Amino acid sequence: MILEMLAIGLVASAFLAVYLEEAVYSVASLGCTFTLISILYFLRDAAFVAVFQISVGVGMLAVLFLSGDMLSEKPSEKKPLWKTLLAALATVTLSLPPIFFFTATPPTAVFPDVLFAQALWNLRSIDIVLQGLVMLTVSLGIAIVLHEKRESVG
Amino acid sequence: MDYLVLSITLLAIGIYGLLTKHNLLKVLISVELIAAAASMNFVLLAPLPNEALGEAFLILAFSADTCLTAVVLALLVMISRKYGTCDIRKLAELENTGAADLGEDSFGELSEGSS
Repeated sequence: MILEMLAIGLVASAFLAVYLEEAVYSVASLGCTFTLISILYFLRDAAFVAVFQISVGVGMLAVLFLSGDMLSEKPSEKKPLWKTLLAALATVTLSLPPIFFFTATPPTAVFPDVLFAQALWNLRSIDIVLQGLVMLTVSLGIAIVLHEKRESVG
Repeated sequence: MDYLVLSITLLAIGIYGLLTKHNLLKVLISVELIAAAASMNFVLLAPLPNEALGEAFLILAFSADTCLTAVVLALLVMISRKYGTCDIRKLAELENTGAADLGEDSFGELSEGSS
């Protein structure tokens, strides 16, 4: 029952994140989606991933909140009632498939005795590439900031 | 509950937002939803509840996703500062009319008006 409730909340908050016009409300809905996803991970005994999801999600949402407040234009006109009702109907309709298409997949052991630390160690080459990507992104950001500063000074 | 259906529903919502929304921030949120829908399969479709390989892959996918978000947000801020808008249609109009060079001035007017 709790999984079905989570699925409904997940689909509804994701739809609201896309549907709402005001960027700040939209980002708040996205935060709700991330929180529900991390609860789903906790229920699947994936505590590490749940913590990562929360921490990455919180950082991303803080930046999105700031930029959403800064960059978005406020909607000038109110939405008509029928559009809101249509969105509610779409949310209910989208929530139905995860509830009713219940097919329990039987567990099959593929790598049953691999620990989390071992799995991370086995994937270290991909990890190094991704860390290089992170460093590249950071250096790109610093270069852009310095370039803009030089342009504003000159 | 079949997690694949949940993942596909989230993916569909993300694609809907990607196709119908014109604000660049909304497009970024839609991309985030698509990434979340795709990456949750690593854990939720793992054969065993405590499967470690899927978790490790998901953590790696998070780092790539964070890089993507950082780059897109930087581009978004730059576009907004240069042209004064985040609307895709207005940006396309600016490009078509050749008035893109006026972006700095319009941003200056906007910032003056807000202060």
